[in-house]
Amino acid sequence: MKLTSVQSDAIQELGNIGAAHAATTLSQMLGSTVEMSVPAIKAIDISELGEYMGDEPAAMVAFELQGEIPHGGYIIFYISRESAIRLTNTMLGLTDMNRTMNEMDESALLEVGNIMVSAFLDATAELLGFIMLPSPPALSLDMAHATMSSLIAQMSEEVDEVLLFSTELVCEEHKIDSDIIMLPESSTLARIVELMENMMKGI
Amino acid sequence: MSDVKTMTDPHSKNEQTAMIGIGEYRVGSFPMMTIGLGSCIGLTLYDDSLKVGAMVHIMLPESAGRSDRPGKYADTAVPTIIKELNAMGCKNRSLVAKMAGGAAMFEYFGANLNIGERNAIKVRTLLEEHHIHLAKEDVGGKCGRSVTFLPTSSGKFSIRRADGTTAEL
Repeated sequence: MKLTSVQSDAIQELGNIGAAHAATTLSQMLGSTVEMSVPAIKAIDISELGEYMGDEPAAMVAFELQGEIPHGGYIIFYISRESAIRLTNTMLGLTDMNRTMNEMDESALLEVGNIMVSAFLDATAELLGFIMLPSPPALSLDMAHATMSSLIAQMSEEVDEVLLFSTELVCEEHKIDSDIIMLPESSTLARIVELMENMMKGI
Repeated sequence: MSDVKTMTDPHSKNEQTAMIGIGEYRVGSFPMMTIGLGSCIGLTLYDDSLKVGAMVHIMLPESAGRSDRPGKYADTAVPTIIKELNAMGCKNRSLVAKMAGGAAMFEYFGANLNIGERNAIKVRTLLEEHHIHLAKEDVGGKCGRSVTFLPTSSGKFSIRRADGTTAEL
């Protein structure tokens, strides 16, 4: 679906609110300030996904969007491998950067992803009155492109173009850089756009 | 390199590596690369007598009648690259296939869809139907892969996996 600039602004605003809540929870978990970027919305042809996400190692905690629309797409907490180690080191009180990730790291990442994505979706539900619930999380520690393309492959609708809707969350103190990415099915996107438009018209 | 005179340098500057994105394919003798295969399949066909080959990045097994992106689906991708190679003079019996990918990136998440495995099965069936020999494959598991394909170096097919290991098919 093609978005007008008004629709795109509306979604950006939604991302802003969701990400602000997620940033707050991350900041509480780290006991440190977390800055967030203005959410970016990009329509990307699947053949060009590699230009945005390469084969660099990353941790991705993925959730299916459930609720009013049963298979609504995906929401993903994305963090580069280096940042992921810094994040779990901070949480677990460790300092070694060159260690391999273990089960403790994995459960810490799942937990952080879960808390942040829940905060994101709570905020958007409150704003829109449209409930999107996260499925149980699934973690992948792999090439970003491999994970992302596999999620796109299992979306229920035919996808040639994905709407990547992402907000960067950065913790300067611990040099942690992460992203929340939404990959909505077009039905979910249409519903979100409709609700945002109504809200701006004051309906 | 002892046989450097008889071979084109695969890394010469004027031969840029072609990046094959999801659903794309290329045919020729230049270096080709596809990155971050998860459940997708990177398939190459290579003709050693003509030193040409094709690479395609397949995402799904069935096109269900769609024809606008032939490289995206196994059932349209395989016949398409065969046809293009035939047009360059390659016979099916001299073509050799190799593939990588078809992983299941999540253990308990959409795993029932088994897209990676279905992709690999579909490609094998289609190659058999077209009497093309599948020489080697590195498919399945739960690990992402990147593949480089060098037609001028005897169709060298190199894999780099997400865990840092490498392999050559």
